[in-house]
Amino acid sequence: MRKGLIVDDAAVMRMRLRDILSSKYSIAGEAENGRQAIELYRAYKPDFVTMDISMAEMNGMEALKGLIAEFPEAKIVMVSAVGQKAQVFEALSHGAKDFIIKPFEPERVLLAIERLFEG
Amino acid sequence: MRAEYANPFITAAITTFQKELKVKLNRNAINVKEAPVPSKQVSIIIGVTGMVKGQVVYSMDDNVAFAVAKAMLPDKLPAELRKLTNSAVSELANIITGQASIILAGESQKIEITPPAVICGGASSIDFLSLQTICLSFLSEIGSLEINIALTEAAI
Repeated sequence: MRKGLIVDDAAVMRMRLRDILSSKYSIAGEAENGRQAIELYRAYKPDFVTMDISMAEMNGMEALKGLIAEFPEAKIVMVSAVGQKAQVFEALSHGAKDFIIKPFEPERVLLAIERLFEG
Repeated sequence: MRAEYANPFITAAITTFQKELKVKLNRNAINVKEAPVPSKQVSIIIGVTGMVKGQVVYSMDDNVAFAVAKAMLPDKLPAELRKLTNSAVSELANIITGQASIILAGESQKIEITPPAVICGGASSIDFLSLQTICLSFLSEIGSLEINIALTEAAI
């Protein structure tokens, strides 16, 4: 079973994403900021990451750039309320595979993760 | 403070309540005040920078905050929900502000928002911005919500 890392500063959102994803994937860990996300990625080498943007300590955009620099093959899907065109473009151009804007439907999240492993 | 900054928050609040909580939110009153000082027991402060800057302060009573957590996590037990209430209202405020900023920013501008800070039990000791504020109030079946919008155009 493929394993994911959930990154979001809100416990409520981590819990919802875990509930959605755990029907098809195992959850390797949860991080509440970008710094913790990089540490857990190094430790668990997950198959995919869901990454919030607005977080204290290190935000999701910085964590995305840090992870892609260290692990160019990392499969990262942004899941954020901050989804203006400029931010979506910045994330995708720095290696994010998809960008989900909150609020989201569970099916949107599952579809985004499935697409990571197609082909 | 430009009046047109209010409309994106009205749209975002109504949409987010419907999608996240399955609750219909209705506009009640709108008024202007001198600072975004909240009037209810639980408040969430979000800072805004970019094409506009300032603060947005959400406010609701304790029972409404608990109802928000229950609507976001309907399968959790009351004891667990009480621990998650601050997280739930923070995330709700974050999503509403994010949605409003998408509308405000349009095609080419950029707005950044800070992680939410929650205050429980009154906000009398907090220093809020001294900036003309539009105060929106809403009613719903789970209670009322107040949004204080204190935004100004960033200097170019």
